[in-house]
Amino acid sequence: MTVKTWMYSVLEAVQAEMRADPAMVWIFELTPPVASNAGMPVINLETEFGRRRVVNTGIDENWMASAVLGAGLAGSRAATYIPYQGAGMPFQVIQNHAGKLRHMTGGKASMPVVFVMEMTGQTPGFAGQHSDYEIDSTYMHIPGGRTVIPSTPYDAKGMMHSALRSPDPVVYLYPAGLRMLSEEVPDEPFEVPLDKAAIRQEGTDLTLVGSGGGMPDVLEAAGLLTAEGMSVEVIDLRVLKQMDTETLVTSVAKTRRLLAVDQTYYTLGPAAEVVARCAENVDGARFRRIAFPDAPPPASPEMFRWMRPDAARIVAAAKAMV
Amino acid sequence: MSAEEHGEGGDGLTRRGFLQVSGLAGAITGLSVSAARAEGQIGYFATDLPDDRLKAMLRTILRIRWHERTMADRMLGDPQYRAYNHFYAGQEAVATGVCAALRNDGPFDRIDLVYSTHRPSGHALAKGVDMKLMQAEMDFRATGLNGGYAAEMHIADPAVGFMGADGMIGPGHVIATGSAFAFRARGSDQVAVVFGGDGTYATPHFHSALNNARLLDLPFIYVLENNLYHQYAHYSYSSPHTDIADAARAYGIPARVVDGQDVFAVYNAAKEAVDRARAGGGPSFIEAKTYRYYNHWGAPGAEVGKLGAFGYDPLAITSFRPEREVRAWMQRDPVDIARRTLIDWGVLDAPAADAIEAEVKAEVAEAFAWAAEQPLCMPEDGLKHVFAEGEVLPRQIA
Repeated sequence: MTVKTWMYSVLEAVQAEMRADPAMVWIFELTPPVASNAGMPVINLETEFGRRRVVNTGIDENWMASAVLGAGLAGSRAATYIPYQGAGMPFQVIQNHAGKLRHMTGGKASMPVVFVMEMTGQTPGFAGQHSDYEIDSTYMHIPGGRTVIPSTPYDAKGMMHSALRSPDPVVYLYPAGLRMLSEEVPDEPFEVPLDKAAIRQEGTDLTLVGSGGGMPDVLEAAGLLTAEGMSVEVIDLRVLKQMDTETLVTSVAKTRRLLAVDQTYYTLGPAAEVVARCAENVDGARFRRIAFPDAPPPASPEMFRWMRPDAARIVAAAKAMV
Repeated sequence: MSAEEHGEGGDGLTRRGFLQVSGLAGAITGLSVSAARAEGQIGYFATDLPDDRLKAMLRTILRIRWHERTMADRMLGDPQYRAYNHFYAGQEAVATGVCAALRNDGPFDRIDLVYSTHRPSGHALAKGVDMKLMQAEMDFRATGLNGGYAAEMHIADPAVGFMGADGMIGPGHVIATGSAFAFRARGSDQVAVVFGGDGTYATPHFHSALNNARLLDLPFIYVLENNLYHQYAHYSYSSPHTDIADAARAYGIPARVVDGQDVFAVYNAAKEAVDRARAGGGPSFIEAKTYRYYNHWGAPGAEVGKLGAFGYDPLAITSFRPEREVRAWMQRDPVDIARRTLIDWGVLDAPAADAIEAEVKAEVAEAFAWAAEQPLCMPEDGLKHVFAEGEVLPRQIA
């Protein structure tokens, strides 16, 4: 057990799987699979496994996604790391091929592949194309692809092991803003399931639901509300497809109040799905959601920060409900 | 490409260019015109320009250079300064030489359009974007060129034909062919130009843009600024060609490889391409061999008051640029080459060149000072400009 960063934890899982399976391949562009961590050896997949298995491509995310799918169809486990600049480019091959092939072939196609899709760090100032946070909605909509979004280094490692061992294509969303988050993570391989939400804090007054890059603000808000005497149950979705409805409904049936928080745009975000599933299954509860407005993120930090649903806004929304 | 197309290229060949072509064609009878006008046989159109236009090219290069240097100094030396930059220093001759061959003034339906990259400041200034407004935008000011919505990576000013920076690699090239398609469809002699880097070769967009531009003979010019590195990787990681222009030729597009440090060489190639496009001769491709003096993003490794970045860039894991490579390229500096050439041609003398530089430095200082005094944005304005009319709802507030 060592304190490790998000990035180190992820690459530790990939390294272990590649050591165990000499056929497994990794494709990247611009973001070398290199991580260092205090007290741990440097991980460099490119030098350890060589450029036949670990490929640095040009700027062609369509090829990256298509190539790992083809490798998977040919029987090799394969993963690619798509930086956020290109997170929309692989959409077609994931939506129309990876997500449909098993079903379309009557179960004959097997795709042990992982699409690591980097999300932006929501950095103020980088404007529309580099501050956005929207692909959770896009990729969770696709049937046939398991879409996950870990928010802690522990889950990041465990879900990477599970994703690489899954026979289904996994869209592994990676919020770049969490890259340097650290916590104790076991050195040996372990799995975190690809179909379970996590209850981060138990409570009885309000169910507060978030995911991915929004979790630090959700947890900060929960801390502030708890300090003021509110009993808050915090759920980290972790999985967007297939969403863990049971954990959500059980919680809201207890608290009778649901506040779902998205960093993505308001329309069709994970929070909309959370509210819909709970509303279908829990009578007489109150439901709210807050999200980024249906507007591209502007460059000006003054505008951008005001538009993000941060801890203060989550606290205000929770207080309005309880 | 036929001989007629060449002879009728826009204003036609200059006398000197015509003599070169006819001399070669006579010597190598039977070769096509495109073969006769092989590398190195380009018309030297720049010498036909009046002195004021030649001096304006030097001024443009200097305006870009001192904007870059001032930006770097502010980023490194002023903790309160918030703007950032993908530096263009070292590549000034490319934007300047290309835009000098374009129509930059006039009504929107007459001027040529330029699509830029994530490294846009040089293209913007060369096309005629106002420096004060651009700097205020880069500094996130409400009165900036785009109201604080854009910052560096999305600056745009359609009024001068600068269609915008683009943070993505590839899509802009295909979009630019759409503008060229519109020009052809409405019978306009306008030209669409896209700037791209060596990293664009790997994208599907590069190939789509060239193929469709050629299939439809669009008035489209692809200017590939090969500065050897896409982000932190040498271009050999993404293209098997030494000259990416070879790929354009495979699509049937006339292509030139030019010295991107020599503004007049770039102008000559651009003029040839623009003349071809205006005359209905279809697309052209120009690969300008050039180099950026700073790292991919920001100013790591640079020092206040000094040009270029030589130090360690923590992000440069794949390909670290050797300091001696940077210094070797700086030996062929686009500012020095333009200045020396004009002095050699007798267009101006050294004191006159110094005077232009002094004026430029004063203009840049004034632009930065003006930008710093501009108001910050109103937070609520983030809900505007999503659609032509009205605002969207503030969904972050319950």
